[in-house]
Amino acid sequence: MENHKSKKLELLLRSDRIYHGCVVALWVVILFLIIYPLYLVLIASVSDPDAVYKGEIMFLPKNISWMGYEAVFKFGEMWNSYLNSIFYTVLGTMLSIAVTMMAAYAISRKFPGKWFFNFIFVLVMFFSGGLIPTFLILRDLGLYNTRAVMIINGCLSVWNLMIARTYIQNTMPEEIFEAAQIDGASHVMYFICILLPTCTTIIAVLAVYYGVGKWNDYFTGLVYLRDRKLLPLQTLLREILATLQVSNNDFAMIMDDYANQANAIRTAQVAKYCIIVVSTGPAVLLYVLMQKYFVKGVMIGSIKG
Amino acid sequence: MDIRTAVPNRHRRSLWHKIILNWQLYLFLLPAFAYVVLFQIAPLYGLQIAFRDYRIAFGISGSKWVGLKHFNNFFNSFYFTRLFVNTFALNFLGLFFYSIVPVLLAITLNSIINERAKRIIQTIIYIPHFISSVVLAGVIYIFFSPENGIVNKFIVLFGGKSIHFMLKAECFRPLYIGSTLWQNAGWDSILYIAALTSIDVSLYEAATIDGATRLQKVRYIELPAVVPIFTMMLILSCGRLLGSDTEKILLLQTAGNSEVSDVFGTYIYKFGIEKSQFSYTTAIGLVLNSISFVMILIVNSITKRMNGTQLF
Repeated sequence: MENHKSKKLELLLRSDRIYHGCVVALWVVILFLIIYPLYLVLIASVSDPDAVYKGEIMFLPKNISWMGYEAVFKFGEMWNSYLNSIFYTVLGTMLSIAVTMMAAYAISRKFPGKWFFNFIFVLVMFFSGGLIPTFLILRDLGLYNTRAVMIINGCLSVWNLMIARTYIQNTMPEEIFEAAQIDGASHVMYFICILLPTCTTIIAVLAVYYGVGKWNDYFTGLVYLRDRKLLPLQTLLREILATLQVSNNDFAMIMDDYANQANAIRTAQVAKYCIIVVSTGPAVLLYVLMQKYFVKGVMIGSIKG
Repeated sequence: MDIRTAVPNRHRRSLWHKIILNWQLYLFLLPAFAYVVLFQIAPLYGLQIAFRDYRIAFGISGSKWVGLKHFNNFFNSFYFTRLFVNTFALNFLGLFFYSIVPVLLAITLNSIINERAKRIIQTIIYIPHFISSVVLAGVIYIFFSPENGIVNKFIVLFGGKSIHFMLKAECFRPLYIGSTLWQNAGWDSILYIAALTSIDVSLYEAATIDGATRLQKVRYIELPAVVPIFTMMLILSCGRLLGSDTEKILLLQTAGNSEVSDVFGTYIYKFGIEKSQFSYTTAIGLVLNSISFVMILIVNSITKRMNGTQLF
C-alpha cells in the first residue's frame, strides 16, 4: 500500500509521466505480440475452412463451425498418443521428483563419501557423452523402442538436484533433524514424515520443471521410438506439422476414418489449428489455474539455487 | 586393554560406524547414482567409438581401432567451418538478446503502477513457456506461409510482396531468435522480477524525497539490484555457446535455410541417428564437448579472478 502511494506521488513529475507513458505503450505492444498469435489460432480453429484458407481471419472468427474439432476427435492415432503423453508425463514426473528429492536430501547431510557423489554429479553436469554414445548404450541396455525409455530418460537433472539441495539446506533447520533423531527417527522416517510435508514448495517447482519438460519433449520419442503406438503426442504432432509444410493433401491422408477426400482437404485447413488448441490448451489452462501456487516457488527456488 | 591402543582402534571403527549409521542415505542416493552411471557415465565409456569403426556386430569395445580417421574426415570436410560458424553465430546473437530482454521486461514491468495489471501481465508473459517447440514451429509455419499466412497478408496489405520466410536463409536467424524470445523471455524474467520485488520500499521513498525521477530510480536502485543475477546468468550461458537448442532448430530447418541452420546438434542427429554413421558423429560430438568444457573452465577462472565468485 505504502509502495503504491509513493508510486502515485511519482506521477507529479513531468518526466515521470512521459516515462510511464512509454512503459504502458511498450507493454501494450508486448502483450499484443504474446496474445495475438494465441488468439488467432483459437479463432481460426472455430472458423469456416474456406475463410481460413483465403486468410480472411484476422480479428474475429467467421461463420463459426466445429468441423475441425469433429475431424480431430475422430483422429484415433492422436488420442492414442495423447494418452501415451499423459502416461509418460505423470509417471516420469513422479519418478523424477522421487529420485531428485531423495538424492537432494542425502547430499544435504554429512556422511562419509559425500565428496565422491558430489564430484560425479558435477562431472556429468559439465561433460556428457553426447547423443550418439547415449543412444548406443541405451540400445544395448534394451531400452530402444520401449515405454520405459520415455519415463526414465532425463529423470534426473543435476541442475534441479542442486536447487532442491540448496532449498533443503536453507529451509530445514538442523535442530529439527536433531530433535527427530533424539525421538528415534531414522533418515527414512525423517524424510517421509517431516521433510516431504514441509518442502511442498520445492516439490511443486520440480513438478513444473520436470512435467513441462516431459510433456513438451518430442526428441526422445523421435530418437528412441519406432513403434507408432508408443509415440507421445509431441512426436506425432511433429510428423503432422512436417507434412503441413508440404501440402494439405498429405495431411488429409493422415486423418483416418475420413472417406471424402475433397472434404478432408477442406477440413484440414482448420484441423491443424484445432490440433494445436487440443494439444496445448490443457497445459496452458493447468498453468493459469495453478500459477499462484508455483510462481512464488519458482522464485524462491531459483534465487537460492 | 591399554587405553592408548584402544583409542585409535575406536577411531578406525568410527568410520565404519558412520557409514553403517547412515546406510539409509546411501539407499537414498542409489536411484540417482544408478541413473547417472547408466545414462551419463556409461556413454562416456562409449565415446571410444570415436576412435574406432563401430560395427553393431562387434559392439563398442570390439570394433576396429582407426585412430583419428573420423576427426580428420570432419576437420577436412567443408561442413566443419559451416557448423562452427552457424552454431557460434546463432548462440552469440541469442546470448545477447536472451540475456538483455528479460531484464528490460522485469524493469519496465516493475514500473507499472496498477498492481492488478501487473499481476495479470505476469500471468500472461509466462504462458508461452508452456507451449512446446513443436507447436511453436507449427504456428510459425502457418503464420509465415507464403500463400495465406497472416504475416504475408499484412505485408501485401501494405503494398509489399509476399515472402517465403521459411525458405530464405537470411530469415532463419531472426525467426529462430525471435520465436525463442517469444517463448522464454517472460519466463526468464522471473528471477529479475523476484529481485526487484525484494528491494526495500524505503529506498524508493528516500529517492522520491531527494527528487529522483523514475528513470534515475531505475538507474541507481533497480539496475544494481539485478546486475549480480545478470552476471551469473551470463556466465552460465557462456559455457553453452556451442550447445544450441538442437530440437527446435531441427523443427525450423528447411532445404532453403540449411546453409545457416546447420549446427553441430542437427548434423549429429542427421548423420548419426538417421544415417547410422555412429563413429563419425561421435567424433564430432567429442570435439564439441571438449570445446564447451574448455570454455566453461576459462569462464570460470576469469570470473574467479574478477570477483571471487565461481561456479565450481
